[in-house]
Amino acid sequence: MVNLESPLSGKILEINMEVGQQVNEDDEVIIIEALKMENPVYCPATGVVKEIKVRIGDQVNEGDILAVIE
Amino acid sequence: MGAYGYSLHPYFKEMPAIGKPLNRVNKQNVEEIKKVEAEIAQEVERVKQTGKATEAMNKQGEMTAWQRLEYLVDPGTWCPLHTIYDPEFNEEGTTGVIDGIGKISGKWAVIIASNNKIMAGAWIAGQADNILRVTDLAKRLRVPLVWVLNCSGVKLMEQEKVYANRRGNGTPFYRHAELEQLGIPVIVGIYGTNPAGGGYHGISPTVLIAHQKANIAVGGGGIVGGMNPKGYFDEEAAEQLIDATRKFKAAPPGRVEIHYNGTGFFREVCETEEAVLDRIKQYMKDMPAYHPDFFRVADPAEPKFPIEDLYSLVPFNQRRGYQMAEVLARLFDNSEHMEYRPGYGPEVYCGLAKIDGYLCGIIGNNQGMLGNNYPEYTDQYQGIGGKLYRQGLIKMSEFVTFCGRDRIPIIWLQDTTGIDVGDIAEKAELLGLGQSLIYSIESTDIPMMLIVLRKGTAAAHYIMGGPNANNNNAFTLGTATTEIYVMHGETAAAASYSRRLVKEKDAGRPLEPVIEKMNDMVREYYEKSRPVFCAKKGFVDEIVNFADLRKYCKAFVGAAYQNPASFCPFHQMITPRIIRG
Repeated sequence: MVNLESPLSGKILEINMEVGQQVNEDDEVIIIEALKMENPVYCPATGVVKEIKVRIGDQVNEGDILAVIE
Repeated sequence: MGAYGYSLHPYFKEMPAIGKPLNRVNKQNVEEIKKVEAEIAQEVERVKQTGKATEAMNKQGEMTAWQRLEYLVDPGTWCPLHTIYDPEFNEEGTTGVIDGIGKISGKWAVIIASNNKIMAGAWIAGQADNILRVTDLAKRLRVPLVWVLNCSGVKLMEQEKVYANRRGNGTPFYRHAELEQLGIPVIVGIYGTNPAGGGYHGISPTVLIAHQKANIAVGGGGIVGGMNPKGYFDEEAAEQLIDATRKFKAAPPGRVEIHYNGTGFFREVCETEEAVLDRIKQYMKDMPAYHPDFFRVADPAEPKFPIEDLYSLVPFNQRRGYQMAEVLARLFDNSEHMEYRPGYGPEVYCGLAKIDGYLCGIIGNNQGMLGNNYPEYTDQYQGIGGKLYRQGLIKMSEFVTFCGRDRIPIIWLQDTTGIDVGDIAEKAELLGLGQSLIYSIESTDIPMMLIVLRKGTAAAHYIMGGPNANNNNAFTLGTATTEIYVMHGETAAAASYSRRLVKEKDAGRPLEPVIEKMNDMVREYYEKSRPVFCAKKGFVDEIVNFADLRKYCKAFVGAAYQNPASFCPFHQMITPRIIRG
């Protein structure tokens, strides 16, 4: 299990994965809006998405767990 | 293996790798970029089709400037510049000259041709500035300037835009003299009738090669004289002019029999148009140039990853972040580099890389969030890539200074939203450090090339190798994602109208008229920062397809190393030693 942690504080703008989906390391899986910029969050490992803990529009802080990759 | 061995090969033969293969093709991004590239291609085609038809000129036994260039330049080496440059928005839609960098007989040259499809190559508005950019380029790169001249002189209907002024069309005459005094040859092939300005254009280069029907002269003989001056025209004057014109049969002055047989200004005369170009090729063989391998540090190698990946990697959406390292990996030989101080000033990439086997300094804006602890001078806000902070500014100044010391040319990759602002930033000395960077760049006296990859904004556009802030910028390229403006349109509208909004609100008046003006301003900023506008106004010297970026990098570096005024022996360089530690 690998946690996908938020690298910054901001608002969830896009979620480009679904539970059960195969993802690869370095895929742009989530976009967080902060400081007027859209910041890609890269998948930390190759695997299957087990859980997504956020929804579009949520405010997140740096270090929050956004998803779990199995 | 090249013609010679390589110095300091433990540093340069194999450098650390950068980049990784593309995860997926971003189809939408590719389409958006290619759509803009198609619009630019359309503009280029419009310029090529402007003026007399090619077939009509060929029928008269005359090649067009485009055909002359195609014949002259080594296949596959032509890197056009200023193709759609038209800062005065002329009715012709061009400045009337065609220029770029290319190889002739295996050697790099800056090449410029009078566009003889348009008023026989007349001086039209904006052309003087175009020519100044070209002479600056030859001066900066220290490569020969080759003219394919066919210039009928001032477009008389617009003389006030062309003839006089500090940067008017007379400037090439002394700029040619300046190049010659610097040891940079100017070779000219002369076609057609070149009176007055065209004549000086013809006489000011180093070597004059004429077509048999060419002429150059102080003034034209084609002006009908003998009229009774009244200070105005009436029917009688018009009839007099018609009569005089019918009888007028003067040959233009300064033909081959005068300037070859008589004065000897023409060094050679050729019977055919192609023969003039053949003679230029012959002279180019003897121009000063080091063997290409003399300054190489390794065998040339292509990047490990295809340059087409850039269409997926560089987001068309200007707000979207990306990894600059992946862009660099598509430009560097074998996708290798040596990064300078990666842990310091994280918003900026500085490093050494090889382009076509030549050592090159690279400076670019990293993108994305920089963490809570940066910039180090405040905990009130986070740093973000694209902005410049204290450490990044210091790092660039250091790196530029070391490259200057080691005589390494620099390529800048700009995608910047500006320098950090506010009292905290002022206390951190960013204003002074920005100007320090300009001072450092100016101190180096090495050739630099700028790619405005996406945003060129505020003073950061100046200080990061911008053409406006130093004498070292050889040329600036834009791409389909380039935007250049002092600030974003919304920011500018807020700055311009916020107080007005408050005033209207307090007076109980409707806000809509002000809002409308604000939106007009946002639209205008957008339209006047688009790639085509940037190229027409000369903010960039050419908009280049992503697929061609490395080709231009190779041309720049190859030309910079062809005949440098000074150099540092590789084994005496300090920058690679500082990087390795």
